[in-house]
Order: sequence, then structure tokens, then C-alpha cells
Amino acid sequence: MISVLASLILVLILQLLFYSWWWILLIPLIIGFFERDSVIRAAFGNGLGIFLLWFGMSLFQWNNGGGIIVGRVAEVMGAGSGLVLALATGMVGFLVATIAGYAGFSLRKQLIKEYQI
Amino acid sequence: MRIFKTVLAFSFLIVLFFLLNNSLGSIPPLGKFLNPFSGFWQNGAARDQIDDVLDVKGLRDEVKVVWDERQVPHIFAENTYDVYFAQGYLTARHRLWQMEFQTHVAAGRVSEIIGAKALEYDRLQRRRGLLLGAEKTIKTMEEDPETHLVLQAYANGVNTWIETLTPATLPLEYKLLNYEPETWSTLKTALLLKYMAWDLTGRNSEMDLSIIRSVMGSDFVKRYYPEDTPGTDPIIPSAKPWRFDPLVPEDSPPPFEPQFVRDLRKNEPDRDNGSNNWAVSGRKTASGFPMLANDPHLGLNLPSIWYEIQLHTPDMNVYGVSLPGAPAVIIGFNEAVAWGLTNAGSDVMDWFEIEFKDKSYSEYRYMDDWIKSDLRIEEILIRGGESVMDTFAITRFGPLVKFGEHQLENGHPVGLAMRWSGHDPSNEMVAIRCMNLANDRESFFKALEHFHTPGQNFAFAAKDGDIAIRHNAKYPLRGQDQGKFVRAGRDTLGEWRQWIPYDQLPVISNPWRGFVSSANQNPVGKNYPYYMGWEYDDYERGSRINDRLEELEDITFEDMQALHMDNFNKQAQLMLPFLIRQLEVENLSAEESEIVRDLKRWDYVSDPDQKAALVYKQWWVRIEEAIWNDELTLLGEVRELPTRSVTAKLLLKNNDLVYYDDINTPEREDRPAIINQAFHTTIIDLAKTLGSYGDAWELGRARGTDINHLLSVKGLGRTGLYTGGGTGIVNATKKDHGPSWRMLVELGDTLRAKGIYPGGQSGNPGSFFYDNAVDAWVRGEYFDIHFLTSTDVSSNSKLSLTTLRNSQ
Repeated sequence: MISVLASLILVLILQLLFYSWWWILLIPLIIGFFERDSVIRAAFGNGLGIFLLWFGMSLFQWNNGGGIIVGRVAEVMGAGSGLVLALATGMVGFLVATIAGYAGFSLRKQLIKEYQI
Repeated sequence: MRIFKTVLAFSFLIVLFFLLNNSLGSIPPLGKFLNPFSGFWQNGAARDQIDDVLDVKGLRDEVKVVWDERQVPHIFAENTYDVYFAQGYLTARHRLWQMEFQTHVAAGRVSEIIGAKALEYDRLQRRRGLLLGAEKTIKTMEEDPETHLVLQAYANGVNTWIETLTPATLPLEYKLLNYEPETWSTLKTALLLKYMAWDLTGRNSEMDLSIIRSVMGSDFVKRYYPEDTPGTDPIIPSAKPWRFDPLVPEDSPPPFEPQFVRDLRKNEPDRDNGSNNWAVSGRKTASGFPMLANDPHLGLNLPSIWYEIQLHTPDMNVYGVSLPGAPAVIIGFNEAVAWGLTNAGSDVMDWFEIEFKDKSYSEYRYMDDWIKSDLRIEEILIRGGESVMDTFAITRFGPLVKFGEHQLENGHPVGLAMRWSGHDPSNEMVAIRCMNLANDRESFFKALEHFHTPGQNFAFAAKDGDIAIRHNAKYPLRGQDQGKFVRAGRDTLGEWRQWIPYDQLPVISNPWRGFVSSANQNPVGKNYPYYMGWEYDDYERGSRINDRLEELEDITFEDMQALHMDNFNKQAQLMLPFLIRQLEVENLSAEESEIVRDLKRWDYVSDPDQKAALVYKQWWVRIEEAIWNDELTLLGEVRELPTRSVTAKLLLKNNDLVYYDDINTPEREDRPAIINQAFHTTIIDLAKTLGSYGDAWELGRARGTDINHLLSVKGLGRTGLYTGGGTGIVNATKKDHGPSWRMLVELGDTLRAKGIYPGGQSGNPGSFFYDNAVDAWVRGEYFDIHFLTSTDVSSNSKLSLTTLRNSQ
């Protein structure tokens, strides 16, 4: 739960300030690195946190005057509907954060093994 | 094993980063694009909200902007600098991507955005010399202090807006194509004006006509490509006497057989770029006040080519449409005068075959001597690839557009240079600004003296009762048919060295018939002493407008509106009864007989629900092809066909003509044969695409209109619009081309105006104002224009106020 909230809140703040999309890669990587015990938490905790953030923010923007743009981009990208687009956005976030979280966790384990951290 | 998993995870992460951070073909970088904090999700209608007070750096005084219900900005500034600064700032706010993209297209810089697939386009565009013309023009413009101020103010306004942008607020197209805007410059405005000039004057048949003449002979060209297209009612009535001593052109150069004419007709402007305008005297209107109407016909796209705006300073109050990227109002009105434009169509582009000494293209033959070309080396930047260096040779006959493939018997290479008036320095900006400030006919005409390219027919009406029309540009003085064929660029005979004096250009003021009009037809009758070109539009639209304006009395806005939307097909009225009589009834199928029945009942009005209008349109095209395509497929391409009215006259008058025969078949076809065959082919083709004869054959369904996004991205345009009209019809709406702005103005004690264009003020596809006018435009409706005299918005709930303030 902590990794879910940590990734969600940290990335929310950083993305509001600095926009770049790759915060969803970097922060889960770091959080995953500091997750000591559970690979599930490192990977899927981050994944879920970023999914919730990106899916939630997409729904917020959709609801905040985004009806027209969502409809048009759904047609441009062949997404069928705005909900599919929002889910796809969330899933991209989930995929990146999950792999990043796992990579961070895995790196730490590797370093512990090599250097007895 | 663990290290393998770690390496695998990181490898996967790196690949994912690469895929999500970069464009893949036409797919935008999905990480950036889908990011709900800065990707497309941020381009919603929330961007339409504008604060009551905006801090705008660079303004000299406070500027007030009244927004109306369609997001038209009505800018009230205290000085000239601020009004154009605010125009640049607000136009960029709505249309930045379009403004910038169009100037990239003009300059031949599209490869920088979309990569090597645009290289050939860029190369050709650069060789055409739009940038060259823009550089000369901006130099001339900036020599005039006031023009310089106007252009710089506008550029500063655009740049101030660009500085406010964040990754989240970038227009959608930058996100789709993954790039960022660059700084705006006054040169970009000049480029945009050149691009418009190109769009209106860049179509040219000289190469085709040279080929046709060399194969078919001079008589063929003289007979079937005449200067006076049959039935034309000239813009200036033929009865008008010309009271001046005309200049006499030097001897025309002798006929020349070019060695090198090929398939240069690439990316040429649309043949149908035309327009209607008219002005009616107060004695023919119900209100007793003069009225003016205009509808320029251009390619239809989203974002729209026009941006509606009102500009108010202590010495100016003007309203109309502007070009995003250029200051001032191009078509519009102020408190005293109104004006509308149609394309002039007179010839301002000639092609010359030049003999070069060698393949360096650095010297060419001129007057039995070798003279140096001006060589320019340009770097074409290509996104995702190596830059390409290209050499451009400029001769006294213009830039060398086509070269490198052909040589004379003496081994010298030859190329084709393009002389275009758009290459010359001029200051249309001062003309436009003076038009905006004009208060009567005299001041308006004085403004036009600076308007050199593109040639336009300026219809004019003034509150003091004057109406006028002027065929205006800087036109070279030509001998008869000079400029109709490619010429030798070798001596002074072919050069442009004299110009038709400004005060001898075709013009008429307050004619006895109480109206003036133009629809791209020949401006003058045979008694006008100068030859100006031959590629004018056919008679139908002009003639129909004149017929209606003759008939109408007590004219109202509703009458003018009906004339804008008039779908009467004069050509069908002339030809259809004749064509139907040629049909061999006994050979018609049941379906064809039903279609013929509908054609006979048709009232020649090409409304969207008319199936007959579609059948006739297609049938006529097939007839033209049957007559001409066999003879005029030369050097592997179908060349310029004679105009509709020439072909129509031929068909009506000649029962037997050698061109009716299809030279590719052993049989000898005659007139009834090609008409019948064309009819059967039409029905077979239509049935193939539309199914059996039924609702799908309605003009509005089968053709309709598509307004595509400038990038042709599916989903960002409006397609399948149910429209009528067509070629040769006053309502010149076609598949992707048509009335780009419809405007009506009445110059009474209180000025009244209506207008509409098929789009909306915003360039943001996520905005309600992106395409909010499209449906009303299809229905032929107009919006009431708010021509404001103050910033008091308290009495009108449709208006809101924003203050632009420089807090520094």
C-alpha cells in the first residue's frame, strides 16, 4: 500500500511541476530499489499507483472539458472510445511502473549479493 | 540467474523508454502523448477559458479585448503598435501551429518536421523561390517605418505567446508530430503572404500549351484555348470606353519550340481557387444603402484559413478576416468602406528555357554572351536523417526550377526558369493597412497602388454611396499571347521590362446598372488595349450573378444570402437538353431510363438532395475525357483540356469533328456515340461505387464536402458534409474546396454585417470553437457580426471582456 501511495503522490507532485512522462519510470525504479522485502510490492505496488494516477488524471481531464479532444484522439488512434483511451493511458503507466519497480528491486538484490549492502 | 533477470528488466525498461519517448512512423511518442499531465489530455476545452486580466509582457499600454459568443476578439488598443501586438498574441493563442506549419510549407522546410518523405516537395518549393521573394519583400516592407512597426509588433505578440507555452499547453499537432515551435519573425509573415500569392497565381499551363502546340499545331491552340471563353460577361462591361493612350509593347518574341518541357505540374494550386464578389448601389437595395458580398473559394481545411477579428485604435476601426500569420484585415469593412476579393487570374508567371554553359549552372547564354547565374547553396534539414545540400541557380529570368535532365545538341544543358511577380519586392502590407484605414473610394484605390501580387478583383462599397471594382496588380506589359507558351530566356525580347500603368488597369465605378461583380472571369472585353492572360474562369458563375443582380430590386441581405447559396447550374441548363436528345432511348436499360426521366425533370439546381446533379456532373466529365483525353495525352500525361465552355460550344455546333473519334479504337466514334458511351460509363461507374440508383446518388451524399485537417489526420477533420453546389455554380462548394468565408455588409447609418466560415476561431481540435460554424455553414446560415465601437459589454450578455496589461 505504501509503494502504491508513494509512487502515486511523488509522481503526481513531480509531474505537476515538471511535466515529463518519464517520472513514471524513474520514481518507481527508486521506490522499487528501496523496497526491501516484496517483489510483488515493488513491481505491482508501483504499477498500481501509476495506473491509478494516470487513469485517474485522464478521467479528470476528460471530465474537465476534455470530451471533444478525447473523442477526436480516440478516432485518430483507433481507440474506439474515450474509456479505452483512458484505460490504455493507465495501462501504459502500469506497464512502465511495474517493470521499473521490478528493475529497481532486482538491482538492489543484485547489489546486496555483490557488495553485501 | 538473478543478474540475468536484472539485466533483462533494465533492457526491457530501456527499450520501453525508447519506444515511448520517440515517434514511430506516424505514431506519436506514446509516453509523451498519453501523459495526462502534458500530453493530448491537456488539449481540452478548458483551454478556451480566458482570464479577465492577462499579464502580457511587451505591450505599451493597456489593451482591452471583447470576446463575442464565437470567440472573435475585438481588440481595443490605444496605439498602432499595441493593436497588432495583440493581434499577433491572440492569433497565436488560437492558431500557432497552423501559422508556423504554413510558413514551413511555404519555405520548403517540411522535411524538418516529417522527415525525408517531404524532401522532393521541399526541393521543388525552394526552387520556386518563395523564400527568395519573401526575403526581397521583407526588405522592402521594413524600409517603410510604419510597415516595419506593424510587422514587428505582430511578431513580438506571437513570440510573447510562444514564451508562455509549457509542454502541457503546446497545441495538439506539436504533440502528434513531436516538435516545438520556433521564434516567429517578420520574414515568416512575408513567407505566408507569398504562399497565399502562390496559391492564387501559381497555376500555369505554359508547359502544357507548348507541348500541345508542338504536337497539335498553332491553330489548334488558337481555336481551343482562346482568351475570350465563350459566353463571358466581363467584369468591366464591354461598353465601357478606355480613355487613355496605351503603351505599345515591344515586338513579341518569335515563336519558340522548347526542348525541355516535362511534368512540372506538380503540387500546383487548385484550378478552382476562385471567388465571387459584388457590390450593389443603394438605388437597388431595400434600405437604400450600398451593400457588398464576398465569398473566396479556397481549399477547405481545419484549422480554417481565416481568422475573424476586429481591430480598434483611435484612428482605425476595422473588422473582417485575417490570415493567421499576417497582421491587419484582408477582407472586411470599417465604418466607411467595405471590400471583397476575388482572384484576378491574369498572367503573372512566365517560364523560360535557358541554355547553360555546363552542368555547374553557373553561366547561361544571354544576348550571345555567357553571364553568371546567382548560385545559392541551401541546406535542407531532414528529421531523423542527414541534411541535404542543394544548389539553386537564379537567372535574370527567375530561379531555375527544373534542370539536370536535358541537353541541347551542342551538349549544353538546358533548364526552365520561372519568372513570377511574387519574386519581386513589393509591400502588400502597406496596401492592406491603408485599405483598413480607407474612408472613401479615393483612399481605397490609393492603397491598392501598393498591392502588386497576387492580382485580385477588389469589389468596393462605401457609406457615401460609391461602388466600384478594380482588377488590380502589377502586370507586365505583354504582346498578344505573350506568356502563353514557354519562351527562350535568351534576350531582352522575352523579359518583363514594362508594366501596365496603374491608372490604366481595368476599373469601373458606379456603373449605370447599379452593381459591380466578379467571378474570376475575363476582366475586360475586346476593346481593352492590353493583353493580360487567358486562363480565366468560364462564364457560368459570373453570368449567373449578373443575371440575378440585374433582375433583383430592393435587394436585402436575404437576397444576397440566397445568391451566395445559389445552386443553379447554368452549364447544365445549356447542355443537358441537348445531351438528352442525343441519347439512343432504345439502348437504355430500365435503370438508365429512370435516370433519364429524372434528368429531364431536373430544374438544373444542384441542391444536395439532387441525384440528377451528380449524374450530370459525372456525365459531363466523361464527355470531356472522351473528346480530348486521347489526343491530349502527350508525353505520358493528360495535358490541359480546353475549358468547359469551349467544349460545350464545340459539341453544340459541330455534328462531326475529328476529335470526337477515339484514336485508340479502330471504330470511328461520332458525337452521338461519345455522348451515349459517356452516359453508359457514368452510370456503370456510379453504380459500382454507390450501388443501384437511389438515395446514395444524391449529390450531398455521393460527393458532399470533406473539410480535412491540414495534416489530413483522420478524426481531426469534418467529413461527409451534406452540400450542394459545384464547379461553375455560384455556390462553388466542392469535395474539399469552396466558399472559405461568406460575408455580407450593408453600409448604412448603422453598419450591418453577417459572416461565416467553415470552421471556428480556435485551432485546437479539442475546442468547441474548432469547428462550431461548420454545420451552420453547410445549411447556408450566417452569424450576425458584432461591429463594436466601445468596450462596454454590459448591455450584451454574449460579450465578455479581457484586459491585457503589461505589469512590468
